[in-house]
Amino acid sequence: MAKRVQDKKPKRSKSAMAWLEENIAEQKLRYKAIVKEMDELAPTRARWYKEFLEICQTRGTNVTGDMRRKIAKHEVPKKPKRKDRVVY
Amino acid sequence: MARPHIEPYVELDTPYKKLDLNGFKGSEYKALSLDIDTGACTLKVQFNNGFKRKPGLSYSDMEIFVLEGRIKVGKEVWGRGHHAFVPAGMALGAMQSEPGAEVLLMFNDSEPSFYESDKNHQLALTAAFTSLNSYQDAPWAPATLANPSVASGCMLKVLRYDPITEACSFLYCMSPEYAQDNISYHDCAEESYHIWGTSWMMQFGDLPTGGYFWRPPWINHGAFRCERGTIAFGRTDSKLHNYFHFNPWSNPDENLHRAAAHLYRQRPTLFQWVATDGHNHPHGPDDFEYPHYHDDAQVRHLHGHTPNEIK
Repeated sequence: MAKRVQDKKPKRSKSAMAWLEENIAEQKLRYKAIVKEMDELAPTRARWYKEFLEICQTRGTNVTGDMRRKIAKHEVPKKPKRKDRVVY
Repeated sequence: MARPHIEPYVELDTPYKKLDLNGFKGSEYKALSLDIDTGACTLKVQFNNGFKRKPGLSYSDMEIFVLEGRIKVGKEVWGRGHHAFVPAGMALGAMQSEPGAEVLLMFNDSEPSFYESDKNHQLALTAAFTSLNSYQDAPWAPATLANPSVASGCMLKVLRYDPITEACSFLYCMSPEYAQDNISYHDCAEESYHIWGTSWMMQFGDLPTGGYFWRPPWINHGAFRCERGTIAFGRTDSKLHNYFHFNPWSNPDENLHRAAAHLYRQRPTLFQWVATDGHNHPHGPDDFEYPHYHDDAQVRHLHGHTPNEIK
């Protein structure tokens, strides 16, 4: 088994632990704020989805690079009943 | 759960805080994302005018990208656009920044650490060190590294490539009036910071200058638009594959299953071998080319086996 520098890391100092705890707590708040902001964007996003699916049927969707394929009406995905989420 | 999904986050209005950890006194930071299991993190750091520190090493792989200003590191001078990957245990020369500097600073294995030393740790994999000015010393290339590929008008400069995991650090740009009409997801985590410019994604809206994301695997992003051009720094934690589709409502679990179905159809014998009972070695199959890859820090990190877990 090869040894790695990461396995030899000295024990975390108290100041490093405090720094981690502070920043983990702040990140939780940041995450919540992002989720709220993205939830508020939902009505606008619904319009963007509609425009996107129209483009896929008229100009086409990019398959790879600049190659496009127009999707047929029967291929257009249906909105499921669950809430639409973009942040996980 | 490693790092949470941070997208979009625009840091410009967030104030800097003092970075009072050993080796960073005289600098300030904003945390962009943080692994809650290990402390691995991406920070925007401001080295204040006159910042100095002695030679030393970190017990984590470290990456740096200079946004503004200049830093003298040993005999090198790192200015705007400089990128360096410093493997864990490798001693960096004394650092000094007379004019000050703003950088992205990334620790891949644990929280920021610094131990004064002018010698490399005996286990340091120093051959992995890279250092170049990405603005001056790397060419733009079409972003066809991944196939299926993005639309023309998105260009890449590959700054670091890990041969074991194919994790990649890169500069990318989108030309003015860039457009790509599909939805993408990947089986790797992806990270980006907008150095300049605004681009738009259908799920998240506009991401302006100072915009950032850390996106775990399987999450939809796109369609894409960029009206006036964008230049950004990006990273992945393993090989990037573009899974393109056009269903705005698919979720990460459905995306994962779809990717596995691709594997089933496109690499049938590999799929069958991996899926067969008894072949799923918990630390990965043998590889005659990289016999010790199981111990690679990045590989262990990807599989949740980290030596420096936060208790």
